[in-house]
Amino acid sequence: MWTDASRRSFLRHSGLGMGWLAALDLFAQSGGTAQSPLAPRPAPLPATAKSVIHLFMQGGPSHIETFDPKPLLNKLDGQHPPGSFGDEDFQNGKFLQQTLLGSKRTFQRHGQSGLEVSDLFPHVAQQADELAVIRSNFHEGFTHSQAQFLIHNGWPRIGRPSLGSWVLYGLGSENQNLPGFVVLLQGGVRSGPEVYGEGFLPAAYQGTSFRPGPDPILYLNPPAERSSEQQRDMLDTLQGLNRTHAADRNLDSELLARIESYELAFRMQMTAPEATDISGESEATKQLYGLDNPVSADFGGRCLLARRLVERGVRFVQVWSGNGKNAIDWDGHTGCDQNHIDRAAETDKAVAGLLADLKSRGLLDSTLVIWGGEFGRTPTSDGGKGRTEGRDHNPYGFTLWMAGGGVRGGKVIGNTDELGLRAVEDRVHLNDLHASILALLGLEHTQLTYRHSGRDFRLTDVGGTTALADRLKRA
Amino acid sequence: MGYFRSLKLAGEIASFAAGVGMLTLPALAGAATPDLAGVAKAILDTHCTACHGQARMSGLDLRNSASASKGGTRGPAIIPGDAASSLLVKAVTGVAEIAMPPGDTRLSIDDVNVLKEWINAGAPWPENALADDTSTWWSFKQPTRPEPPDLDDGWVRDPIDGFVLAKLRSEGLEPAAAASRSTLVRRAYFDLHGMPPPPGAVKQFVEDPTPDSYENLVDRLLESERYGERWGRYWLDLVRYADTSGFETDHYYTTAWRYRDYVIESFNRDKPFTTFVREQIAADELWPTDMDLEGTLNLPEEKRRNVRRRIGTSLFTLGAFPVEYTYYGDLYRAEWRAEAVDMIGSAFLGLTLECARCHDHKSDPISQRDYYSLSAFFAGSVEKEIPLVSLFDVQTSTRSFPLLEQARALKRMAKATQKGMNPEQRGKMLQRLGEAYLSAPEPYESAKVLGHEQSVPETYVLAHGDFRRKGELVKPGFPAALPSGPPVEEPEGIRFVPRRRAALAEWLTSDEHPLLGRVMVNRIWQHHFGEGLVRTPNDFGRHGEAPTHPALLDWLAAEFAQSGWSIKAMHRKIMLSSTYRLASVASDESIALDPDNRLFGRMNRRRLDADALRDSILAVAGTLNLKMGGVGVIPPLTSEEILAARTPHLWPANPDPSEHVRRSVYLQVKRSLALPMLHLFDAPDTARSCARREISTVAPQALAMMNSAFVLEQADHFATRLSDLAGEDPGGQVDIGWTLALGRTPTDSERHTAVGFLKRNSLPQLCLMLFNMNEFVYVD
Repeated sequence: MWTDASRRSFLRHSGLGMGWLAALDLFAQSGGTAQSPLAPRPAPLPATAKSVIHLFMQGGPSHIETFDPKPLLNKLDGQHPPGSFGDEDFQNGKFLQQTLLGSKRTFQRHGQSGLEVSDLFPHVAQQADELAVIRSNFHEGFTHSQAQFLIHNGWPRIGRPSLGSWVLYGLGSENQNLPGFVVLLQGGVRSGPEVYGEGFLPAAYQGTSFRPGPDPILYLNPPAERSSEQQRDMLDTLQGLNRTHAADRNLDSELLARIESYELAFRMQMTAPEATDISGESEATKQLYGLDNPVSADFGGRCLLARRLVERGVRFVQVWSGNGKNAIDWDGHTGCDQNHIDRAAETDKAVAGLLADLKSRGLLDSTLVIWGGEFGRTPTSDGGKGRTEGRDHNPYGFTLWMAGGGVRGGKVIGNTDELGLRAVEDRVHLNDLHASILALLGLEHTQLTYRHSGRDFRLTDVGGTTALADRLKRA
Repeated sequence: MGYFRSLKLAGEIASFAAGVGMLTLPALAGAATPDLAGVAKAILDTHCTACHGQARMSGLDLRNSASASKGGTRGPAIIPGDAASSLLVKAVTGVAEIAMPPGDTRLSIDDVNVLKEWINAGAPWPENALADDTSTWWSFKQPTRPEPPDLDDGWVRDPIDGFVLAKLRSEGLEPAAAASRSTLVRRAYFDLHGMPPPPGAVKQFVEDPTPDSYENLVDRLLESERYGERWGRYWLDLVRYADTSGFETDHYYTTAWRYRDYVIESFNRDKPFTTFVREQIAADELWPTDMDLEGTLNLPEEKRRNVRRRIGTSLFTLGAFPVEYTYYGDLYRAEWRAEAVDMIGSAFLGLTLECARCHDHKSDPISQRDYYSLSAFFAGSVEKEIPLVSLFDVQTSTRSFPLLEQARALKRMAKATQKGMNPEQRGKMLQRLGEAYLSAPEPYESAKVLGHEQSVPETYVLAHGDFRRKGELVKPGFPAALPSGPPVEEPEGIRFVPRRRAALAEWLTSDEHPLLGRVMVNRIWQHHFGEGLVRTPNDFGRHGEAPTHPALLDWLAAEFAQSGWSIKAMHRKIMLSSTYRLASVASDESIALDPDNRLFGRMNRRRLDADALRDSILAVAGTLNLKMGGVGVIPPLTSEEILAARTPHLWPANPDPSEHVRRSVYLQVKRSLALPMLHLFDAPDTARSCARREISTVAPQALAMMNSAFVLEQADHFATRLSDLAGEDPGGQVDIGWTLALGRTPTDSERHTAVGFLKRNSLPQLCLMLFNMNEFVYVD
């Protein structure tokens, strides 16, 4: 049924560039089906990671309170920064005019590697040997929406595909009955849902927001009054009419693709509720994720769901901490320390549990786990009106960590200056970060392109190197 | 190791486009060996070609082999194989009589070493280096009116058909059969109105014996106001229309809808396209609005007309814009102007200009200097809120200001004191507040349009687009590779009304302009056939596709100008051609030989876009409210649908349910939260110009069509409509259902299947199935 012409036409309509034809041909020869835009595609280059879980800490956690201790900062607490550091613009004022704010957290070395983790994360600290902590990230967006777009889409404005969309475009997904890019939100998103949107890529590559409970996907379940027999009856009748219609129209591949999409929708209805139903998990597993504690149960449930999805072949999962409002995310403009104590209590056990659970199931080797927010926070006290002991946004130097997916843990990469103001050593620009994540997945960032509006676009725009990926993989 | 670092450097500098950033050189262990030519070119592009590129300062152009070897007024810049003697190396190392680049910037030692190494290696140029002569690009030359092929064939109704048939025959193909009349009438309705034919319209047309029945049909459809709603929507896509700013704050553009109504009205009145363009770019400079009352309290007629034209300039006030850009005035202005230039490029010129913001365009003859010269047309222009009513009305609605002040005072009191109040006191307070609010004057009607600042700031070339890195001073000017336009006449040193945008508008709409007409007729063709004659409608440059029928494109452009730039005349011409009337079903052979239908030997089958799909569901369900214009409607969403909104409680759905079923073009477009039903079916993201919506086919669409509250509710209405029309008879319900939804009666087999289905299922479920049929969603 799939003539060359119809397949070409299908590819055109499904939005796949001709660049993928060769890969698809190879794949078809190996017995796979190349019909769906989400069909799995082999990575063009050697890969150490197959799937990604991005633990996104909305609002921007302070590196100074978490993974980047700054003794000098504590010493200079309450003073103006030394002029030798130079000035910098923050959202609420100029760096040199503000006063430095020491951290109340204490840091200890953990694991065989002796990695420094703050006392906010006693459980994550036990996984220290799995973590590669990157202290030298930086980018150019100092407001939430710009920074979230940068971290997720590589560009400070709307209109570009999300990292997960690019990965799906490059690799497809292993499970054809579930969306390949799933987003697990706590609530609102500061920059809007476009941060997990497909931008100019075909809609098949968009992030799909799953909700907790038996009705995880928008419009997944038929209304209660329609039985599943009736549902199947309607589908069979519909498909019969549609097939006759297509037969009279040169078996148009677009029409056939739409018929197929209804079958997939039906399979999704059958599959998704099982994938998201965590009631069958053992008590031990639930405790591992902190589900026995109301404070950590919400985020823990989403981490557990992330594991179940990855286990079922979903390519890319985002788990969000924070609902986009200052008091309920990591945006510590006021009382940063207490804000972070609260957020850590919600997330620490679940994050550690996720790493341990992935490891015990043999999934950590192939699953890249990324932890971090859209930026870090300032060493100074926030200069905003009426704000005390808070920290402003800081995109000039901040921490992310990665684990699993071929990353050798128990190490620190890069450094900020002695106050934690800017990344100074082995600096990792946002484009480098993205290029390296793609490299771990076996995708070359300069080759993963999409032609739109007269130009070839890529996640890393015109920048990016993969040196970080090599560092992450080395012991 | 030298050029490894330089590669990184070039990349980093280029990534500066976002404005703020820092340089760094992390270790690059394990990087792939980059090609020397590419790295050398990157260095030249970064440091040199802003002046020694398109702009050819001192006659030097360092963008390709021939021009670099030829050199400028000081002789050859590069002697391949001999770095030491090459002027380029002497200049960048400062041993020549001139040192380059000018100013304090010096090339790094690594960069210099790369250039030396590259020249010693023979100075090979990358394959993608710009070809020598850029002035011969087809779309930059003025179209001449080609002679249509003279084919003695009854199939040829119009010269369009001659062009198409000649091309088909040259490939050994013949056109498909003509579409049936029932297919044709349905196609015409969807094409011009974005909705299916109303009940009876198909039958009436099929049975109409008059010879010009089809011509009459097309004329009737063009006269209907539904036409402007459909074709206005295409224009709104093109200019990234939305009602909010996007980003975290997602500010509401309270008067953006006036621009939407302006566009719809312009299409309905068949405003000459050149007038439409002039109004949007420079109505305020071309049609004065400063005249006073004429002895009555009403706005003078001429002023009323001109104010309406000026709403066209709202185009430049409704882009996606983070409010944080206002932190730096210069950043705000730089971004605002960049957005304006992108609009000029994509919507009017059909060119991707944004590349030239940071460097000379890699493939098209648009230099960075050209880009900022275009940008200078917008220098001194600002957004302004203007009244749409007379001075008398402005005063009338503001003089009762005490009432408004009273309401505000009550609001302050309510906020300050409500904590200590008991419910009764609180209720009283809120009642007084409500009454004060109701008696406060309505704000007068206004619109946000373009106006002018008190002075016109200078425009500079910005290095890598960074607002802090000002380079050469430029004046308003037209791209060097395109015909020139009128001079901008600005007296020095006295107050004057700027006419920069007027000059830009006159240039764009002059008869000599090679792009404007071609680009627009291509858009019209594309929306009739699903594909344009140029399949990259926003890119007529080198990266774009060449036209499949260049002569036809030029002929149409000439016709367009000759018709007085009448868009409706173009529709009529295209729709009356034999080419448009072809069936979408073709022989397997012709499909195999022309799978993408580049020869237009058959009609392309097309899926309804998001707006047409929603409108068609409402029309068939019998619920569609055809009210036109006004503030964007906020339809209700389920709590699941607004989950991701940052402030889900701030979704003030319109309290009047009859508003929820208006045409999709009247729904509010909120940048931070696309309506799920429209988004799933590829509604544009409104970040940038969208000339052609994606058509994707994914499972979540099927779920939405089978299970969403919106579709289920409309299926219920459709069922009620069927019961009203056909009573309890299943056969009658099926017949009328098919006729309303698909414009035809069911076949015997379909009727048998559907009646059987009704024995097992409810009528709303049959209706739901009809909405889901491929035939409902695709137009032949």
